[in-house]
Amino acid sequence: MLRLPTSVRLVSRRAVGAATGTGAAPRLATLVPLARRSAAAAAVAAVVVLGAAACGGGATAQQTAEGNGSSFVSGTYGTTVFRPGGRPVAPQVTGTTLTGTRFLLSADRGAVVVLNFWGSWCSPCREEAPALGALARHFSGADVRFVGVDIRDDTASAEAFMRTFRIGYPSLSDPADAIALDFSGTVPPAGIPTTLVIDRSGRIAARIVGTASYDGLEALIASVERA
Amino acid sequence: MPINVGLAHLSNGLLLTAVVIYAVAMLAFACDFAFGKKRAPAVARARVRELVSAKAAAGAADSAVVGGPVVEAEDGLADEPLADGPGADGSGPRGAEDGAAEAVRRAGRGPVGFWVTTAVALTCVGLALHSAGVLTRGLAVHRLPWGDMYEFVTALTCVAVAFFLGAMVRYRAYYMGLFVMASVVLVLGLAETVIYTPAGELPPALQSYWLAIHVTAMTLATGIFFVAAVTGVTYLVVDRHARRVAAGRPAGADGILRRLPGPAELDRLAYRTIVFGFPVWTFGVMAGAIWADYAWGSYWSWDPTETWAFITWVVYACFLHARATAGWRGRRAAVIQLTAFVCLLFNVLVVSLIIPGQHSYAGLH
Amino acid sequence: MTGLRIPPEAGAERVRAGGEWTAELADAADPQAQASARPARRFGVAGWLRWGWRQLTSMRTALILLFLLAVGSVPGSLLPQEGSNPEAVAQYYAAHPGLAPILARFSLFNVFGAPWFAAIYLLLFLSLVGCVLPRTVRMVGSARQPPPRAPRHLVRLPLSVSYRTAQPPEQALASAARLLSGKRFRVRAEADWVAAEKGYLREAGNLLFHIALLAVLVSIGLGGLYGYKANRLLVAGTSFSNTVTALDVFRPGRLVTPGDLQPFSLTLDSFSASYVMSGTLMGQPSAFNAALTYTSAPGGPSRRYVLTVNHPLVVDGVRVFLLGHGYAPEFRVTDGTGHVVLNGPVPFIPVETSGFTSEGAIKVPDASPQQLGFAGVFLPTTVDVGGRLASAFPAPLKPSVSLVSYAGNLGMNGGTSQSVYTLDTAGLHQLAVAPRPLTAGQSIQLPGHLGTLTYLGYRQWISLAITYDPGQFPALVSGIAVLGGLLLSFMVRRRRVFVRAGPGPAGETIIEVGGLSRSDASGGFEDEFSGLATEIRGVIGPPASPAPAPRGRPEEHRGDHEPPEGE
Repeated sequence: MLRLPTSVRLVSRRAVGAATGTGAAPRLATLVPLARRSAAAAAVAAVVVLGAAACGGGATAQQTAEGNGSSFVSGTYGTTVFRPGGRPVAPQVTGTTLTGTRFLLSADRGAVVVLNFWGSWCSPCREEAPALGALARHFSGADVRFVGVDIRDDTASAEAFMRTFRIGYPSLSDPADAIALDFSGTVPPAGIPTTLVIDRSGRIAARIVGTASYDGLEALIASVERA
Repeated sequence: MPINVGLAHLSNGLLLTAVVIYAVAMLAFACDFAFGKKRAPAVARARVRELVSAKAAAGAADSAVVGGPVVEAEDGLADEPLADGPGADGSGPRGAEDGAAEAVRRAGRGPVGFWVTTAVALTCVGLALHSAGVLTRGLAVHRLPWGDMYEFVTALTCVAVAFFLGAMVRYRAYYMGLFVMASVVLVLGLAETVIYTPAGELPPALQSYWLAIHVTAMTLATGIFFVAAVTGVTYLVVDRHARRVAAGRPAGADGILRRLPGPAELDRLAYRTIVFGFPVWTFGVMAGAIWADYAWGSYWSWDPTETWAFITWVVYACFLHARATAGWRGRRAAVIQLTAFVCLLFNVLVVSLIIPGQHSYAGLH
Repeated sequence: MTGLRIPPEAGAERVRAGGEWTAELADAADPQAQASARPARRFGVAGWLRWGWRQLTSMRTALILLFLLAVGSVPGSLLPQEGSNPEAVAQYYAAHPGLAPILARFSLFNVFGAPWFAAIYLLLFLSLVGCVLPRTVRMVGSARQPPPRAPRHLVRLPLSVSYRTAQPPEQALASAARLLSGKRFRVRAEADWVAAEKGYLREAGNLLFHIALLAVLVSIGLGGLYGYKANRLLVAGTSFSNTVTALDVFRPGRLVTPGDLQPFSLTLDSFSASYVMSGTLMGQPSAFNAALTYTSAPGGPSRRYVLTVNHPLVVDGVRVFLLGHGYAPEFRVTDGTGHVVLNGPVPFIPVETSGFTSEGAIKVPDASPQQLGFAGVFLPTTVDVGGRLASAFPAPLKPSVSLVSYAGNLGMNGGTSQSVYTLDTAGLHQLAVAPRPLTAGQSIQLPGHLGTLTYLGYRQWISLAITYDPGQFPALVSGIAVLGGLLLSFMVRRRRVFVRAGPGPAGETIIEVGGLSRSDASGGFEDEFSGLATEIRGVIGPPASPAPAPRGRPEEHRGDHEPPEGE
């Protein structure tokens, strides 16, 4: 029978620990016959191995538990900031918004662009949506554009999401993940939600993987605005 | 293509007849133990023969070259290597090979009595029917006939009997007949009654030529290891008996056990059988990995059946290492070998039927 | 792993009788062992390390470690493993709440990634390397070594024969040496004797086998570091690209980052499954075909491929496999305010294979005034079995959907992830809707002006396994080398043949030919020896006069040195 998929969760890496060791030096009289020495060596090896098991087992279980709770590739969660000299150039992103308008990322050159990858089915996205909507309104006077990229959603659900959270900024529909693919060579979105902050010259200044907080994102946008 | 029901019925009939004939062959082997020509001196001579047989064969070949009297290898002790006779000096190498073969053949005829000949003949007939049964099943379902548990068991017992016949001829191991045939009758009988599955198509996942390669290799190896396991059990029984006799304690079941050769020969037979089967098993596991890679994307995913095949491989490797380590030959090695076969059985019977995984193709629901 | 050993081990293995103490007495002859036989006052760190290393690389340790490896794999096959079946692990936790955490402490739900399992196989391979490297060096060193001297009394060898010839000794030996060297023996010819040896490939095969096992381990490690495995469920008519955000399950190797994924995209144009329509195997699938269009890089040319089981799509080094399939019924949900809040396919998961009854959940978190949720089954061939609905056949001959409706709080706004296939009814209340199965086009009117759900029809979906393993090809090559080395070491016999020539009575020459085979696993040396002896006889020539009459039984000639089996 064929294997079936189960859930729409990303699983974090399993820890593959490796413990090596040769037999520790026990206190044995050297006149002990060979059989007893071999048995002793085997016993010591077994103790070392079991000890490693008892210590290592806990760590593995913990990491897996983390993986089951979140949806991200472990090691990429959190905020990554790129210094002004070391910012990768954002790719040419084109798309169609949910209302049918054509969108071009380079058209917003000169403004700070906040690109947020989301889906209406994604719980952490729903958690951060109020903050994003509020931030968009906060920065509405300044040269800051908010754009969403909607992943694996139908149009009706996406529009309903935007109504629920009163999101004023447009979102691009990306059912084939083409936009995420565009970023795979530079700073790829490593899970949903991911928020990219692109500076005025079209370079990627920061990436937040996971739920963005109002204060954190606001400080980030402000710093990118300045520099 | 639809299943050919007529051929499927024919296959069942052939296999059932084969089981019956195997049972009669088993009885004939038993009669050989009970009524056959007393081979105790032959057994003793056989032990000595192990030691000098090649020497005698060389000697016999030598005397054949020079046209001397062809003596039975049995009487190799009487063979004077320096015996030269008149004539046939120009026979050369070709005559020498014929002479050597002739000497071996004559030697082989000596201790083989009526019962063994009958039993071997019956086994051959049974094997022919058995093979025909497996073949017709394959023709009925238009594919190789080892796609489900029933077919796998019928095929592996066929391999076991064929291998046993070959080992009998090569190593003159007629004494194994009773035990091997008894096991085959039991297993095949179970296959026909308990795990019988009607002929049918394979699910898409099994439609690959790698099925042929992987399952064929596993079937072959299982059949070979089956013979080795039977030999191992016999070895342990004979060894225990020999120890009891050596210690002067009363030992039962003298009749059969005195007729079997010593533990050393059984041990060697088991070793040679496993040396034959181990590369086949290794190849089968590798072919399975290649097939898994085609079907599921990963050549090793620690599926329970894969894991147990690996465990079986490791324990047979243990056996091979044990035979090369002093203090671990003989009884301990035999126990390791039997443990490995138990792992194999566990894999075939328990894991594929009970534990869920990718390998649940037994055909039973 | 025997034979040429550091003295104490060799002493132990040569002496079989008398128990282990005799081994110690044998050691007494060795000054090195004698030093260690004195009471441990100055045994030092170096001494203990050496002792440890010797223990590690001994056969016994290899045996024990092999056995531990086998035993350690057993729980990995009997208990559910996280890597392949995390749901079963969760079920085990639920069924055995006390036992499960204890088992998890010892990594028994992740045996093959556990530190203790790694310790076993790493120790084993350390032992292996420690044994194989010196032997490889020795083998290379002895590659040019000539065979040893011929023993004085060839009759003491396990196989020997002698005859007389008229040729003078030097000539006879020269002919024998020519014959043997023609048969690709390595020959050493001296005045009175000729020694020939063959079968060096056996040791080479043995070493190749063990080194190739190491190579397999390294290849597996390579895959574990740089490879990845992923799963994705794809509904017919939709596409996806190989990015982390698009994958349902992503298991990267330790050194894989999201930017390393090969940037291909593919679209599922259509999927068809055919089933056995009659006979005893009715209902079993007989073929699966998924028609794909794919590009290997954004903007690249698009190609078509028909994906079937056992025939993966290979794109840019990545392989895409067809794992499974199912049904995704399509729904349109209108909420209380009149907006369409959901319009598309929702994949349902099959729970049994004979009828492909599939379960799923429809979550509408943005419905107003209340969030809506629906849970139920999709039946491809709907039949009524004593009042209960079931599916009689896996093909969509008479599809229908049967749902239970809920409203309230789906629990999705809190941030913790949920499975998209199951509904968490903790915050929901069931709506009083008359239960009936829906066929295409039919609707459920929710009470209290909460909305409407219309079942529009169904699509099929496939599940794909996407794997990238750079160690796959090296593992294959190493596997072939494993098999080759194994066959060589089993089939090639190391054997030696000696020929001695000496003057005999009446001016004739007595020729003695002796043969010795080390570890004759498959037998057959006797035949080879008798063939050789006969050929040598033929080449050397007959004696001048016939032999005297047989003098009676010669003694049993049996070598003192019985070659150890299974070297």
